[in-house]
Amino acid sequence: MTPPPIVTGLSPNEGPPGTKITIRGENFGTKPTDLTGLKVCGCDCLLSAEWKSPNKIIAISGPGKGKGDIIVTTRLGGEGVCNVSFKGYYETVGSLKESAVWVEEAPYFGGKHSLSSSSYQQEDPLGLSVEGNDKKFPEDDLKELFPNSSGNIALENFSPGWFLLENHHVTSFNDLKAGLLHLRRKVEGQKEGQLSFLKSNISSVVDQLDTIGSMKDKFRCDLTEYGNEPTLKLDKSIKECERDARKLFDDVLTRRDRAEKTRNALNVLARFRFLFCLPCVIERNIKKGDYEIVINDYMRVKNLFNKSDVAVFKTALNEIEKKVAGLQKMLHQKLVQMPISVEEQKRLIRHLVNLESPYEPAWDAIQSHSEYINLRMRHCYEEHKVAEAIFIEEISKAKGGSSTSKYSKFNQPPQDLSSIPENVLFIEDLCEIVSELFPDLWKLGQAYFTGDLHVKVEPGRQVGFKHIVLSIMEAFCKTLRSAIIPHTLDKSTDKATYGTWSTPDSDTIKPWLPACLRYVRSTYSILIKLDLPSEALDIVFKFILDLRIHCMSVLFKQASDQIEQLSKQETWKIEFTGKHNGVTELPIKFEQSVQEVIQIVRESVLLSEQREGSLLDNPTANKELDKQVDSLLSMFHKVLSNLSLKKDNDDDDECTTVVSQLIGTPTASYRTHNSKSQLPIWEHRLLTTLSNCQYTRLVVLKNLEEGFTKGGYPAPKVALDNCCSKLEALEKSVLELYLEEKSDPLVGTIEPSMYLERFDWDTQIKPTDVRPYVKECINNLIHVHSEVNSISPTLVNSVLPQVVQTISEEIYRLMVCVQKFSKAGILQARVDINTLQHFFQNYSTSKAKYYFKEALDTIPALETSEQLIIEEILKVCKKRMKLQILCLQQPITNGVLK
Amino acid sequence: MSKKPTVQPALHKVIMVGSGGVGKSALTLQFMYDEFVEDYEPTKADSYRKKILLDGEDVQIDILDTAGQEDYAAIRDNYFRSGEGFLCIFSITEDESFQATQEFREQILRVKNDENIPFLLVGNKCDLEDKRKVSFQEASDRAKQWGVTYVETSAKTREHVDKVFFDLMREIRARKMEENKTSNGKKKDTSKKKKLKCVIL
Repeated sequence: MTPPPIVTGLSPNEGPPGTKITIRGENFGTKPTDLTGLKVCGCDCLLSAEWKSPNKIIAISGPGKGKGDIIVTTRLGGEGVCNVSFKGYYETVGSLKESAVWVEEAPYFGGKHSLSSSSYQQEDPLGLSVEGNDKKFPEDDLKELFPNSSGNIALENFSPGWFLLENHHVTSFNDLKAGLLHLRRKVEGQKEGQLSFLKSNISSVVDQLDTIGSMKDKFRCDLTEYGNEPTLKLDKSIKECERDARKLFDDVLTRRDRAEKTRNALNVLARFRFLFCLPCVIERNIKKGDYEIVINDYMRVKNLFNKSDVAVFKTALNEIEKKVAGLQKMLHQKLVQMPISVEEQKRLIRHLVNLESPYEPAWDAIQSHSEYINLRMRHCYEEHKVAEAIFIEEISKAKGGSSTSKYSKFNQPPQDLSSIPENVLFIEDLCEIVSELFPDLWKLGQAYFTGDLHVKVEPGRQVGFKHIVLSIMEAFCKTLRSAIIPHTLDKSTDKATYGTWSTPDSDTIKPWLPACLRYVRSTYSILIKLDLPSEALDIVFKFILDLRIHCMSVLFKQASDQIEQLSKQETWKIEFTGKHNGVTELPIKFEQSVQEVIQIVRESVLLSEQREGSLLDNPTANKELDKQVDSLLSMFHKVLSNLSLKKDNDDDDECTTVVSQLIGTPTASYRTHNSKSQLPIWEHRLLTTLSNCQYTRLVVLKNLEEGFTKGGYPAPKVALDNCCSKLEALEKSVLELYLEEKSDPLVGTIEPSMYLERFDWDTQIKPTDVRPYVKECINNLIHVHSEVNSISPTLVNSVLPQVVQTISEEIYRLMVCVQKFSKAGILQARVDINTLQHFFQNYSTSKAKYYFKEALDTIPALETSEQLIIEEILKVCKKRMKLQILCLQQPITNGVLK
Repeated sequence: MSKKPTVQPALHKVIMVGSGGVGKSALTLQFMYDEFVEDYEPTKADSYRKKILLDGEDVQIDILDTAGQEDYAAIRDNYFRSGEGFLCIFSITEDESFQATQEFREQILRVKNDENIPFLLVGNKCDLEDKRKVSFQEASDRAKQWGVTYVETSAKTREHVDKVFFDLMREIRARKMEENKTSNGKKKDTSKKKKLKCVIL
């Protein structure tokens, strides 16, 4: 706890208001804002206080008077204490002296001052200047010195000593002497005052005396002339005058009185006339529509004659009442007659209120308004329902007629597509109705409850109105739900009440969902502007949320369908993009459609508008999104796998497995291209799919993830990973399929080719070249290489080694099976295997190398002289097959060659 | 805090006198707040009061820092009346201020009417040795003549600042104790008077 501030030093310790005081002490806080209060002699001086340091504050003293403490208050230390005291005093202020506060210029020596009114400044009795008398003599000391005395010259207990000390303690002795002289002169002057006054004004005094004398003479004259009572005659003549005047004006006055009476009578008559004519006038005015005049007249007549007991008046009044009642009825009917503008309604309500109608016009108006809205909504529904029925009928008719008339069949579909589904139109109309009519109802209600209609609000009406508003909102939303998302209506009764539509789930409505969302949103924004209670808004809010979710899933489904359609669009046209392998348009199209849907969903659904929560905060929406994205991505996987794994039946028939070129007829060795479909051969398609898979996995998915995050979606990690792994699996299976497809026939040809023409390893023919089966094998491999390379160069490395390995295995198997080698056979076998080894070295896995080596080992050994022969043959062979060697060089060089 | 009902510590009223600009306020502020104020602003009359420990005893010192300027000479009497001890300060760099001490001493004696009033002659600004105009001897001679102590101080370096205040307070305390003794027992007082009378007789 911070100790309280303590004031230990003041500089100066006294002064008039406005004195700059340096306050010193302890614990004044650590920063200027710590200082929260400062009082000097009870006056708050915080405003002028200037915090200098934790033990110094500079302040300007206020108008506190007398001895007092300086209390510093700090934020942490609270109110402080004071060891020293400050004395505030007021100075005598002259016209030339500055003062920080208002100081009364009252004279401090009383009555004397009024005599010297000529002088603006109070005069010192000693005739000395008090100006510059800055240093006041301490009042306490004076009190001590002169008990029961005062320095006030006007008081009885005046003490000269006090006065002198108070006012002249700095006056020099000489000045005091001069003052004494002045005082003496003044006293002298007062003593001989009267006499000198007379002396100085002698002439006027004589004038006054003369005037008084002449006045006396005149009076005496009058006395002798008119006797003792000089006013008698005057009195008599005044009375005479009065009499004459009466005679003159009596006539005029009576005439005036009569005129007044006549006027009064006329007034009464006019009033009666007004009363008796009123029924007619009212009727006329009602016809004219001047209800306000009628109201005015009615009020007037009520004021005038309501209390009258005269029978005639009463009957007249009755008649008027009848008319007014009729008017009320008419106005009321007008009021509840819809449609009507709010202004008009308000006017009518005012009229009715003024006419003291027995109805409750405001409430009736509200009710009729709400009923009208309901009615309009129902009408709208019915209208569109009828339209829909007609439409369906037309369709069925068209369908029915399609068999007979070709024309209608061709005519129908485009019409079907271009025409907007009836329930979408209905939604648009319904939204329009609500946004048009509901604000009026709400305004009317607000006016009613705020008292703008000058109607007393009946108790319970508030609840009733709320109920009306809520029920309208409910009906609005439920009707909409039934039209587009009926699956969100839980109760079957609701479905019955709010109508059913034949097409809500059909594909026709799907493209219109964003439009529907727009309509509803625009209505929602209008409702929000009305400042409706959140309870009412929430109904619409929930509907919008459901609609958004639905819209989102529909959009995704649409995209999903679109992707499904992609399989039909595959052209197998290979394009080389950048550093990736040849791919078809498929993955690109896939990416496009996904990005598109991301964009559309984001724009139409995901972006939240006024008073809409983020859709993704909603768990169901999130789940739905995840599901949809997952199915979207899986769809593409499905497309790819369908494309690759499905062998066309036609193809199967046409293409038998490759038969050795050495055995089979040349025509059979070529896969005849199916003329009906322009599809490339299946192996090509496998490779293409493989490449597409890779491309999708490595590029497209990444792009999509970026697209999702850019679009403000939560990154669909799971779906992407899922898709990725699926694609990988697909790749693997496709690759296997391809390998199988390729290596099986290749390997299968080796054995028949080897023993073609009844070849026997126990031959005696000296080898001069490699055997044809080796060449065929090499050529076959080159064929595979070229096929793979033409589509996806990077795949060469994963395909060829596998093939080579199976070849090596087969060779090894064959070698083991050989029963007997002749010398020439040994040579031949070695030449063959060495050639294969040499040609396939770039694609040989360790396993392949091992098999080749084993194969060599199974062949009996040779003498070194014969080794030379092998090398010779190999050399010749290599030279001859240079082109083939080049073909099987490292894929990189191949890539370059390409 | 709880010891509030105990007697308030003794209050010693010290008055700083001396010509204008000799450093009365500087000494006071140095003593009170360990602060040396460079800029000169003539004092009118400043009050300071704080609790200090004097020889193990809690006392309160009340310092009245007066105006040195002649303009205020007329009201000095009032101040002097309330003082219990005086620090008469002059500047060793200004002979005039030293001469003025004579006048102050006389005025104090006249007002207090007491030869033994606690009083210290203080030569301030002793850090400005090179500008010295009043020799130590000269000043201590005068002090001896008055029967008071002479101390040289420096408000700037805080040399002897505490000493002069504490010395003065000790004098004041000693004197108050003496007075208490005399006023404590009236009998003693009377006996003293009698004694005095006897002596005169």
